[in-house]
Amino acid sequence: MDKNNLTPEESFNIINKAISNYKKNYKESAKIFLLWGWILSLASFSNFIILKILHNKEAYELMGLYSLGNWVVFGIIGFVILFFMDRKINKDKKVYSHLDSYIKKLWTVAAASFFIAIILCFKLGIAPPPIMLLIAGIATTTSGLLIKFRPMIIGGMSFFIFSIATTFVSNEYIALIVGVAIICGYLIPGYLLKYAKEL
Amino acid sequence: MYKDLDPLLHSQLRLTIISLLVVSEKVDFTHIKEETKAASGNISIQIKKLQDAGYIKVEKSFKNNYPNTMLSITSKGIEAFENYVNNLKKYINPRK
Repeated sequence: MDKNNLTPEESFNIINKAISNYKKNYKESAKIFLLWGWILSLASFSNFIILKILHNKEAYELMGLYSLGNWVVFGIIGFVILFFMDRKINKDKKVYSHLDSYIKKLWTVAAASFFIAIILCFKLGIAPPPIMLLIAGIATTTSGLLIKFRPMIIGGMSFFIFSIATTFVSNEYIALIVGVAIICGYLIPGYLLKYAKEL
Repeated sequence: MYKDLDPLLHSQLRLTIISLLVVSEKVDFTHIKEETKAASGNISIQIKKLQDAGYIKVEKSFKNNYPNTMLSITSKGIEAFENYVNNLKKYINPRK
């Protein structure tokens, strides 16, 4: 394959063919969404159970410590799985698209914001979930807009509603709302993306 | 014949390589080979020409214990591609 005396039409066809053959591969994003969807929803529901038991036992002073421990354990499990998953994805990857790069940068900044938000919330003595759900909503909605995938945009926006909803309930029910928010914002869009034929 | 068209891009293989790189951040050599169906030697020669002109960046590393070549377009390459496309338009739509 090589030809140097191309006509302008032939040149246009070459460019057009190369660009239209560009495959959008968002299945990797689906895997990451499903990983965090499962990890965080399990963390939320187990947190709800822990808080409910401690509430019934009137062991209020242990609630913060047990809750933090639960999130840390699930967080570590998530990052360990993510590390191996990322290695496997990169092993077979041949094309790194601009969008992959934007989405990765967006979630790196979101992850940093999660950690800063946790520190700020503890310092200020307020519950982290409303802020966490807000950050998750910003990153998920933006990811959905970037890949033009409506279920992810809707899922991302549902985080905003759940974020406000957490301010109306008591501590243990906040965990339950977070769990439902993760199902709506990460798991449902994640599975729809996984099984989407073409975007 | 087409004096305004960059001779470096006005080749079937080099134009395909540049077009593939324009839409992605980084592309593996094997992907270029699959898309162009050209011989590795020929692709390497064209890549060298594009690299010498500063249009593309070549990164050599190891992946899964095998040598791996990743290609990406430079800002000079993007500018050259844009100029090439703009000049092409003049030939297709001479009035504009």
